[in-house]
Amino acid sequence: MATSIAKVCQSVKNLTRRSDLLYQQACCLCASFSSSSHLSHPKKLQHVINYQRTRAEVARALRRKQNFLHYEQVDKHRKSPLQSGTELVQEEKEDVAPREYRYVMPEFLPNPDFQYRDRVLEKMERRDMLRRRAVIDIPEFYVGSIMAVTVSDPYSPGKTNRFVGICIDRGGQGLQAYFVLRNVVDGLGVEVLYQLYNPTVQGIQVLKLEKRLDDQLYYLRNAPLEHSTFSFDMQPVTLPRDAPVPVNTTKVKLNPKPWEYRWERFNLKGIEPIELTPKMERGIKEHAKPWEDYDLMLKYRQTVNEDEERSIMTEVFKENSHIESQRKSSRTVLRKKK
Amino acid sequence: MASKAAVTAPLRPLCNFMFSNTNVTVTLAPSSVCFQQKRYRRFPKYVVRPTTRKPWHVRKWTEKKDEYLDASNEQFIKEVIIDKYAKVAPSPLKDGPWERNPYLRETRRTGVLALKLGSLLHWKKDGTPFYVTVLQVLDNHVINYVPPELYATYPSHRPHQGLRFGMQVVGSLSCDPRQFSKPYNNLFMKAGVPPKRWLTRFLVTPDAAVQPGTALDVNHFKVGDYVDTQGRTRDYGFQGVIKRWGMKGMPKSHGTTKSERKMGATGGGGDKDGIWKGKHMPGMMGNYLRTMYGLKICRINTRYNLLYLAGVGVPGLPHTFIRVSDTVLPRRQRNEEQMAEVAMPTWFPEDAEESLPEEMFADDVFQFTEPSLQLEAEES
Repeated sequence: MATSIAKVCQSVKNLTRRSDLLYQQACCLCASFSSSSHLSHPKKLQHVINYQRTRAEVARALRRKQNFLHYEQVDKHRKSPLQSGTELVQEEKEDVAPREYRYVMPEFLPNPDFQYRDRVLEKMERRDMLRRRAVIDIPEFYVGSIMAVTVSDPYSPGKTNRFVGICIDRGGQGLQAYFVLRNVVDGLGVEVLYQLYNPTVQGIQVLKLEKRLDDQLYYLRNAPLEHSTFSFDMQPVTLPRDAPVPVNTTKVKLNPKPWEYRWERFNLKGIEPIELTPKMERGIKEHAKPWEDYDLMLKYRQTVNEDEERSIMTEVFKENSHIESQRKSSRTVLRKKK
Repeated sequence: MASKAAVTAPLRPLCNFMFSNTNVTVTLAPSSVCFQQKRYRRFPKYVVRPTTRKPWHVRKWTEKKDEYLDASNEQFIKEVIIDKYAKVAPSPLKDGPWERNPYLRETRRTGVLALKLGSLLHWKKDGTPFYVTVLQVLDNHVINYVPPELYATYPSHRPHQGLRFGMQVVGSLSCDPRQFSKPYNNLFMKAGVPPKRWLTRFLVTPDAAVQPGTALDVNHFKVGDYVDTQGRTRDYGFQGVIKRWGMKGMPKSHGTTKSERKMGATGGGGDKDGIWKGKHMPGMMGNYLRTMYGLKICRINTRYNLLYLAGVGVPGLPHTFIRVSDTVLPRRQRNEEQMAEVAMPTWFPEDAEESLPEEMFADDVFQFTEPSLQLEAEES
């Protein structure tokens, strides 16, 4: 009798051990099914999905008493077989966008902060952006390119306004994307901020496609005006096909102080070396953050996951190439008519 | 006159009892109970979070787990759950929807529970930019309806409401029933839907009552309607006086020690001494219930069930639950034409004669498929 009881106990122990292992596997396999397994086994849970934060932070975000849900949790609900009403479109994996595409269209990358992300919202936003791109031609441009923008302006006599200048900044995510042009008009520096997807923009033309050594060229405000003077009658410069975008390596000599910012602290490459005073050197030493070059977590938080970036850019690449092919065919039809 | 009524009112039931015939038993209906009016300044203006659950709420979550389930049994249980809830007939309504009444000026319909997704930039047709807040109406079902007579006996009923409103319970986001307690799962037996993650209730007039089990959709609203949105603001936790009330603090130098972010004096002296009620001090910040009134619906996506509301300020972080209902603002009510087109009590798929367009825009909103804004030059 005693031996049989011992056998039963042994088998039960084995069973529990085995079931635990199996349970973990089942969790991994069916993570998208429901969150019940998460709640009943909080300690054993192995998060399968690659979150943008440490596990402790995610656990804090997933607490039950919070009044909001994690975005991965919301996606589970959207894909759950129990729900009714909405459906998510399956992503098709086809021709992959080139790696440089993220620099061509940086505004398609979402906000990397996971608290402000939602896949459906990003998808809708991307669709609106591509619809606008099908209507007007938004060409490839970079900081340092010389561009001409035509907008409808109720206060100008012809109701349109054309401005030519060098692009000194580009930023914003999604529909809020913008760029800043700078030129000199009547001896005075003028900067205009344009929203890329604003309906008042009638056309964007790149007169000279090139890059500069820096990400922002606001130091042109404290440089001689000749560096930011461009003729409004400038003719577009064409590049040979499939040629790489040229990099303009001119170095600007800054005016003497006073400056808008302390440019010596920005580690700029596009300016001639500055003669540093002892006070400047002290300031550089105080405000330098050399550890940020080695802070992997900082970079991880400030950039979008690589897999996600690839899937987004593939979708954009496919749609955009479709738009361009349609535009080309319409051009050929127009030529034949003429 | 008013003071006289206030004095005599509490005495009335007592007098009735004293002077009534001894054979007649006096029963007091809830409406005849008189309340002594109290006038005081409402403090504090923010709501302190309750630490305990209301006694009439059932326990929601359970920690029970079945340790001896192996993978095949686990899979079997999941299949059973899907068979029971997901693979039933499209409508769980047994006896068809209830009678549908016309929309009147006094009617108050049920609302929906939406998820806040975030905000976007949009433009009007004349080129002026404005922000929109996007909400998703995800997996909504009506769970229960309590008629006014029964609702009047509920502890949450307020006497001034009288018998005007019934109570409609709406739930959102279907879940695996194993994570919930049995009494919580029993709440959904009547509606025949899987248990929901979130529940809320709306006060509705009886002519707009919806049968339990009905699915609520984004088509409950129309483009151009005005809605109220209610939700909980972002939870900041315990915060100091500078962040919570915007106080100035003290200077950082000139001999100041350990009081850069402290409040100054807490009160005066003499007659006004002591710390007054409602003094702004450190404490729990955020997680308050807040309502934004009269937001206009400027765009609707019927495929993903998205509501685009003009304006920002809908409370909470993204993925907060928001109660969306018709506005109570008198200036934003529907006109006669709009009243005829309202989906009463809610929108049913059978109502659509043709298939609905995927996206609907308000008249003044710029659609991204339109050409750029062209202004005509003046001839002078």
